[in-house]
Amino acid sequence: MTDVIEAVGLTKWYGKRRGIIDVDFTVGQGEVFGFLGPNGAGKTTTIRLLLGFLRPSGGHSAVLGHDSWLDAPRAHDGLAYVSSEPAYLGQLTAGEQLDYMARLRGLRSGAWRQIAERLELDPTVQVRKLSRGNRQKVGVVQAFMGEEPLLIMDEPTSGLDPLMQREFLTMVSEVRAAGRTIFLSSHNLPEVERACDRVGIIREGRLVDVSTVSDLQASHWRSVNLVLNGPPPPDLFDLPNVEVVSAAARDVHLMVQGDVNPLLRRIATIDVGDVSISTLEIEDVFLRLYEGDGTSADLEVAR
Amino acid sequence: MIPAFRLELRRGAMLVIWVSVVSMAYAGFIMLFYPTMIENAAAFEQMLEVYPKELMAAFGINGSLFDPGTFINSYVFQFLWPLVAAVAGIILATRVAADADSGFLDLPLSSRLPRVRYLGASIVAQIASLAVIAALTIGSIVAVDLLIEPDFDTGRLALAGFHAFAMAAAIAGVSSALAVILLDRGKAGGLAAGILILMYLLNVIAQLSPDFKETARLSAFHYFDLSEVIDTGVYPVVDTTIFLVTAALGWLLALWVFRRRDLAA
Repeated sequence: MTDVIEAVGLTKWYGKRRGIIDVDFTVGQGEVFGFLGPNGAGKTTTIRLLLGFLRPSGGHSAVLGHDSWLDAPRAHDGLAYVSSEPAYLGQLTAGEQLDYMARLRGLRSGAWRQIAERLELDPTVQVRKLSRGNRQKVGVVQAFMGEEPLLIMDEPTSGLDPLMQREFLTMVSEVRAAGRTIFLSSHNLPEVERACDRVGIIREGRLVDVSTVSDLQASHWRSVNLVLNGPPPPDLFDLPNVEVVSAAARDVHLMVQGDVNPLLRRIATIDVGDVSISTLEIEDVFLRLYEGDGTSADLEVAR
Repeated sequence: MIPAFRLELRRGAMLVIWVSVVSMAYAGFIMLFYPTMIENAAAFEQMLEVYPKELMAAFGINGSLFDPGTFINSYVFQFLWPLVAAVAGIILATRVAADADSGFLDLPLSSRLPRVRYLGASIVAQIASLAVIAALTIGSIVAVDLLIEPDFDTGRLALAGFHAFAMAAAIAGVSSALAVILLDRGKAGGLAAGILILMYLLNVIAQLSPDFKETARLSAFHYFDLSEVIDTGVYPVVDTTIFLVTAALGWLLALWVFRRRDLAA
């Protein structure tokens, strides 16, 4: 598999302030690579280095075989990018804005129409009058309107409603099926689980893990809330991957890491009034990890 | 580059229109008073004798106000044009800093368009916009001139317009460099405006006090006197060259810095 993105020892310091340190990873052709981390971890800095907006303090990165900093325009020739909060010109309509980007990317005027219809974006409305979600749609349309071999997206679904998020995931799978590559930065773990083949996790500027989604699923935490119809047996939740967060009267809050089946089998043995299982946001996962000591946190994430 | 240039022109259109309207209205309105001044020359002469010559010179009145050159230079180019040039030049030139701050810059710069060509498109749009404002301002003077007596030399007015454009270009060039270096529209615009105000004061002080006469050379306003070209047709080649070289150096510095600087999030 050809490397579409390559980062080797990629480091960025903003004066004395940490950006990212020694980040190494590759993204192969046709891969959907998720880039996870809480706010301030270094996701956007990494993307800006890949796009050649920032000069690396150390190491280097290449996109489509071109050095990100020294040869940015040639690297950009094969990519589409959408930022987390696209800043469009308020006086233009969504359609005019998309036409502008289409012409800069060598696409025909109106190349965005099909995607815009799919995402139910009204192209005749001035950008300044669009809601945040609709402005984000402009970004998603912009990313998907061409046929570039690489899409770099920085939290593209923040602000999108659930239906549009689902449509977005469908579009990602279509792009992957076409053999194109996606670099998807997010702090939405379920989205990354559904969309990505591999995931890189960045924390405090360092890439702490690169693993497949199945590995990630095996290691991340879920929150389980139970309402019991009677008192539970004493050792009911005594499982190696389960942690009792609180147990007040008949309400029990558990955290389970990885495989939930052993816990579900235990729950099935008692009389349950209600149950809910939710996936933690990546930020919550990190918060849990930060609560422990640094070493164990690293191990948890890197597993 | 063409889409970026067209968008920059479009974004600057309202500014160009309104600045031009104000400039044309003011210049045309002032020109309508010229015949009245000529008719009442004796009374005006008597009044002007009250003012010290240095003070008159400090505010750009070097010579008789009844000469067309001195009249237009004093009332249009010394008073109106520096404001017009500063407002238009600084706003147009610092847009790149505002775009970086808002994040809009990420969109064109993530395309195949190299940074230098993107900023180059912006600079060409600045040049075109300032040229339009200068041409319309001179156009309004020429238009009013058709209605009044005596007639001015249109060719000389056109030359004066080019020199006025060169001055505005110098402001835009320096502002562009500041905008790209600081990547902060407020700071860059404030600094450019501050430099202009200091230069204006320096020029005034140099006119008022012989001890500071030589410091006038540090002021852009020292090189901006259009009375001679309008009255005699002798073009201020050196002064225009100074402005154009300043503009070119500013823009080149902006391009050089922009090509290699961080565009932080």
